[in-house]
Amino acid sequence: MLLYIAKRVLYTLPVALGVSIVCFMLVHIAPGDPLTSVLPPDASAQLQAEMRRLYGFDRPLPVQYGLWLLKTLQGDLGTSIATGRAVAVELWSAMGNTLMLAVLATAIGFVLGCLFGFVAGYFRDSWIDKLASFVSIIGVSVPHYWLGMVLVIIFSVQLNWLPATGAGPGGSADWVWDWAHIRHLILPAVTMSVIPMGIVARTVRALVADILSQEFIVGQRAKGLLDLGVLRHVIKNAAPTALAVMGLQLGYLLGGSILIETVFSWPGTGFLLGQAIFQRDLPLLQGTILVLAMFFVALNLIVDVVQTLLDPRVQRS
Amino acid sequence: MSATAATFERLATVERSPGYWSGVIRRLRRDPVAMVALAIIIGLVLMALFSPWIAPADPYRSSMLRRLRPIGTPGFPLGTDELGRDMLSRLIYGARLSLLMGVTPVFIAFFVGSFLGITAGYVGGKVNTVVMRTVDVFFAFPSVLLAIALSGALGAGIFNGLLSLSIVFIPPIARIAESVTTAVRKIDYVEAARASGASSMTIIRVHVLGNVLGPIFVYATGLISVSLILASGLSFLGLGVKPPEPEWGLMLNTLRNAIYVQPWVAALPGLMIFITSISFNLLSDGLRSAMDIKA
Amino acid sequence: MKHVRMAAAMAAALVSASPALAQGTLRIGMTASDIPLTTGQPDQGGEGQRFMGLTVYDALVHWDLTRADKPSTLIPGLAASWSVDATDKTKWTFKIREGVKFHDGSTLTASAVVWNLDKLLKQDAPQFDQRQASQGRSRIPAIATYRAVDDLTLEIITRAPDATLPYQLAWIGISSPAQWEKLGKNWQEFAKTPSGTGPWKLAAVTPRERAELVPNKDYWDKPRIPKLDKMILIPLPEPNARVAALRSGQVDWIEAPAPDAVASLKAANMQIITNAYPHNWTWHFSRAEGSVWNDVRVRQAANLAVDREGLKELLGGLMIPAEGFMPPGHQWFGNPKFKLKRDLAQAKKLLAEAGYGPSKPFQTKILISPSGSGQMQPLPMNEFIQQNLAEAGMKIDFEVVEWNTLINIWRAGAKHESSRGATGMNYSYFIQDPFTGFIRHLQCNLQPPAGTNWGHYCDPEMDKMFDEVRNTFDAEAQTKVLQRVHEKYVDEALFLMVTHDVNARALSPKVKGFVQAQNWFQDFGTITMAP
Repeated sequence: MLLYIAKRVLYTLPVALGVSIVCFMLVHIAPGDPLTSVLPPDASAQLQAEMRRLYGFDRPLPVQYGLWLLKTLQGDLGTSIATGRAVAVELWSAMGNTLMLAVLATAIGFVLGCLFGFVAGYFRDSWIDKLASFVSIIGVSVPHYWLGMVLVIIFSVQLNWLPATGAGPGGSADWVWDWAHIRHLILPAVTMSVIPMGIVARTVRALVADILSQEFIVGQRAKGLLDLGVLRHVIKNAAPTALAVMGLQLGYLLGGSILIETVFSWPGTGFLLGQAIFQRDLPLLQGTILVLAMFFVALNLIVDVVQTLLDPRVQRS
Repeated sequence: MSATAATFERLATVERSPGYWSGVIRRLRRDPVAMVALAIIIGLVLMALFSPWIAPADPYRSSMLRRLRPIGTPGFPLGTDELGRDMLSRLIYGARLSLLMGVTPVFIAFFVGSFLGITAGYVGGKVNTVVMRTVDVFFAFPSVLLAIALSGALGAGIFNGLLSLSIVFIPPIARIAESVTTAVRKIDYVEAARASGASSMTIIRVHVLGNVLGPIFVYATGLISVSLILASGLSFLGLGVKPPEPEWGLMLNTLRNAIYVQPWVAALPGLMIFITSISFNLLSDGLRSAMDIKA
Repeated sequence: MKHVRMAAAMAAALVSASPALAQGTLRIGMTASDIPLTTGQPDQGGEGQRFMGLTVYDALVHWDLTRADKPSTLIPGLAASWSVDATDKTKWTFKIREGVKFHDGSTLTASAVVWNLDKLLKQDAPQFDQRQASQGRSRIPAIATYRAVDDLTLEIITRAPDATLPYQLAWIGISSPAQWEKLGKNWQEFAKTPSGTGPWKLAAVTPRERAELVPNKDYWDKPRIPKLDKMILIPLPEPNARVAALRSGQVDWIEAPAPDAVASLKAANMQIITNAYPHNWTWHFSRAEGSVWNDVRVRQAANLAVDREGLKELLGGLMIPAEGFMPPGHQWFGNPKFKLKRDLAQAKKLLAEAGYGPSKPFQTKILISPSGSGQMQPLPMNEFIQQNLAEAGMKIDFEVVEWNTLINIWRAGAKHESSRGATGMNYSYFIQDPFTGFIRHLQCNLQPPAGTNWGHYCDPEMDKMFDEVRNTFDAEAQTKVLQRVHEKYVDEALFLMVTHDVNARALSPKVKGFVQAQNWFQDFGTITMAP
C-alpha cells in the first residue's frame, strides 16, 4: 500500500508541472505583448525595461517558464496590475473566505445528498426513489448562478429575511461566528450546496442499490435480519466512495465558486478572479488560477490516498 | 470517474446482436421521461431555427416608454427587459446563441476527443502516454476554472468562448474514448481480426468505431447540460456573448439589476437555461439506461 | 494590521464612552470596486478623491463645500493665501498655513509640499511613486519648477502664464514625509497606515472590502472636525448590490442608486438626494489618423441620432439632457449654432454625405465600463445609444473593460495598444474649471502620455483660444473666451454629448445634517447619525 501511495505521489508531480505550464501560458495566449499585459498602460519606459528584465520577456519561452517557476516556488506570484499589491497577499484573505463557503456548502450537500441517495437506493424503484432521483437530477441541471438569483428574489427581495450580498457588517476581515455574519453565509452556501448534493445523491443511490443487491444482504433481508446490521454494512461499504466524491466536489466548488461569488459579492477567490478578468489583471488571474488548480490537484491526491487507506481494495489508476 | 468509465466500457464491449440498436430505440420510446425531454429539445431547436417566424416582435427593438413591464402585460406576454425589449421574443431568439454556445463545444470535443482517445487507445505505447498525460493535465483543472481561465485570458467574444469550452470538454471525452477503445481492443473478435491480418483501418472502422462511438456519444450528450450552464455562465460574467445579442446568460446578467423592480421577469432567462439543461440530462440518462442491458 | 484595528476599536470605544460625542458610524457603499489608493493621490476617479483624497488629505487649495444652492468656489486650504507675480505671470507664491500637523504629529512646511510634488513629478526622487504619479501628474501640467523659499513660503513657476493653476492644485493631496521615512521609505507600508493633514484619519483598511476613517480631532479647521465617530467605506460596484445593502441596513448611504430602484427606495423611506454638479457623460472620440470620427458630419450625425429624452426615461428622470458640453444655462455656454436634438433624417443625410451607405456601412468600436465614478448606469445607457445610432445606420460594437482599466486606457491614449483599436470611449468628466472643463481634453501638447487628450485632437485654432484663456487673469474677459471655446466644442461636435448627471445618492433616514454641495466632492464632517 505504501508503494501505491508513493506511486500516486510521484504520478502527481508531472501533472502539477503540466498545470503550472498551462497557467504560465495564460499570459502568453492573451492577445498583445505579454509585457503590456502585466503592466499598467502608463508605466514608464524605465519600469518597462525593468520588468522585461525581471520577467525575462526577452528570453526564449522555456527560460521564461523556468524563471517564473522559480519565483512562484518561492511564493512570489507577481504583483497585481490594478492594485499594485502582491498577488499572494490578495489571494491569502480571499482563499480563506472561499474555503469557508465551499466547506460549508460541501457539508450541506453531503448530508442532504447522502440522505436522498440512501433513501432512493434503499427503496429502489419506489416512488420515493423516483422523487429523490428527480431532486438529484435537478441539482446537477440547475444553473446555480440563476438559483442564487432566485433565492435572493425570494428571501431578500420578497421576504426580506436574509441579506442579498456581502460578507457581513465587518466584511470578511472582522468575521465572527455570530448571527449578523452567518446570515450572509446562508444563501450562498445553500446555493452552492446544490451541485454536490445532486452528485453525492446519485453516487450514494447507485452504491446503496448495488450493495443491497448483493446475495449476502438479500439473504439477510429475507431472513428478516434487517436494518441496523444491514445499515452498518451499507455505510461501511459506501463510505469510502461517498467521501471521495465529497472531497472531489470540494475541489470543484473551490475552483467553480466564481459564478456564485459574483452573484453574492462574496469576497473570495472567485470574486477576485472576476475582478481580475474585468480589469484584465493578468498576474492576478494567473496567480489565482494556479493556486486553485494546485489545490485541486493536491485534493485529488489526498482523496486517493485517504480512500486507499480506508478501503485498500479501491486503487484508482 | 472510474465508475463512469466502467459503465461505458461495459456499454462498448456488449455484444451487438443485429437488433441491438432497434432495441435501444424501442426501450427509449417506452421511457416517458426521456420522450418528454426529447420533445422539449426538439421544440427548442425548432424555436432556434425558426425564431424570426415564431417571435412576435423584433428582439432588438427597444423603447424607453415600456421598460420592465411585468409578465402578462398585453402585447408583451412575458414582459419587457431593461431597455423595453419584448422578453418573449428575446427568449425565443436567445435559443439560437445559447444552444449554439452550449452544444457546439461538446460537438467539437466529441470529434477531437474521440480522435485523440481512440488513437491513444488503439496505438498504445508512447503515443498513448503523450496524449493521455497531456489530457491528464487539463483534466486536473476543475472545468469551470479552466473555462474561465482560458476565456479570461483570451478575452470576451463568441469565438473565444467556444474555443475555451471545447478545450474544457476534450479531456473527459478523450479519457472515456481511450479506456473504451482499450477495452474493445482486448475483445476476442477484435484480437482475431488483428491476427487474421485485417488492416488497422478496417479494424478501426468496423470493430472499434462501431462499438466505441455509441458509448462516447451517450457520454457526450451528458456533457451538453454542463456545457450549456457553463456557456451561459461565461456570458453571465461578461466573457462570452456581447450585448445587444439575445443570449440567456447575458440576459440574466443585464436583468440582474432589475430584481427589485421585476424579479420574475429577471429570472426568466435562467429558467430557460434550466429547462434546456435538465432536458438534455434526462434524455442522456434515458439513452444510457436504454443501452445498458445487463445480459 | 490587526494592531491598527485594535487601536482604532479602542479609540472608538473611548470616544463613544462620552455620550455627548457619540454621533454614530456612517457606512457608505461606493461604486468603486476597490478601496481607492490611500497614499495621497487616490485612483478610482472623482469618487476616489471624494472619499480617500479630500478626507484623509488636504490640498493647498480647497473647494468650498458648504453651500448646496450655488456652484462651489475655491478657498484657501493648506495654503493660507496665494498670489501671482504682477510682472512675471508664471511666478506664483503660496503662503503655507502655520501650525498644521500631520496625523503622525509632524509639522507641515513648504519643503514638505515640495517633497510631495517631487513624489509625483521627479522620477529619480527616492519618494517618487509611480502609482501616485499616474494619478496626479496629469492634474498639474502647468507646473514647471517649484521651490521652498522658506518654511512657510512656496514658489511655483508655470510653463506659461496659467490662470488655472489653483484649480489644478486642488487635486493634489499632501502626504506626510515623516511617516514615509518612519515606515522604511515604503509606499506599500504607508498605504496601510497613511498620514495626511485631513479631517479624517485612516484607522484600518482591508483591500477590496472596507476602509475605516475616524475623525482627526486636532484638525486645523475646527468647524470641519467631523461629528461622526467613524465613517466606513465599502466598495459595492454593482448597483444591485448597493441597493440590497442599503435596504438590508448593511450600509447607510449609497452612491448612484440604480434609477429603477429609486421608487422602491423612496417607499422604504430612504432619502434620495440629487443636485446639479459639473459633470458630463460623453463618448470621447478618437481623432487619431484613420478614426471614423475625423469627419465632422459623422460626429454631428451621431449627436443627432441620440434620443436624450428616451434616455431620461431610462434613468427615471435622474439626468439633465445635454445641450452642449457644459450643462444648459452654464456661464460658459455661449451661443452655439448646432443644436443637440434627435433628428434621424438629418443624421442619415449627414452620414450619406460623409460617404456611408449600404455599400459602405458605418461600423466602429467604443470602449465602455460596467460601472464607475460618474459613469452613471453605463451598460443600459450605452446599449440604448447603440440602438439609437443603429437606427441612423451606425453600427457600434462595445469593448467592456473595468472602470479603473478604462481610466488607465484613457491616460494611455487612443493610439496606445491598450485602446484595442477603439475609436471612442464612454467617459464622464469633471468639468469644474477651464482646465478640467476644456483644456485637458483637446490641447495639442496634452496628448498622451503628456496629458489626457485621449483622442489626440490637435487644432491650432483651439490651442490659440486655450492660450488666451490661460493668459486672461480677468474673470469676465476669460468667460467671453470660454464661451467661444464652448461654441467650437458644440458646433464641431467634438464629443458625443449625451447627458449630465444629478449626483444621486440614497441615504438611510438615520443620516442627518448632510449638505450636498454642487460639486464632485462633499464634506462629510457635518453628518450625524440618528440612533
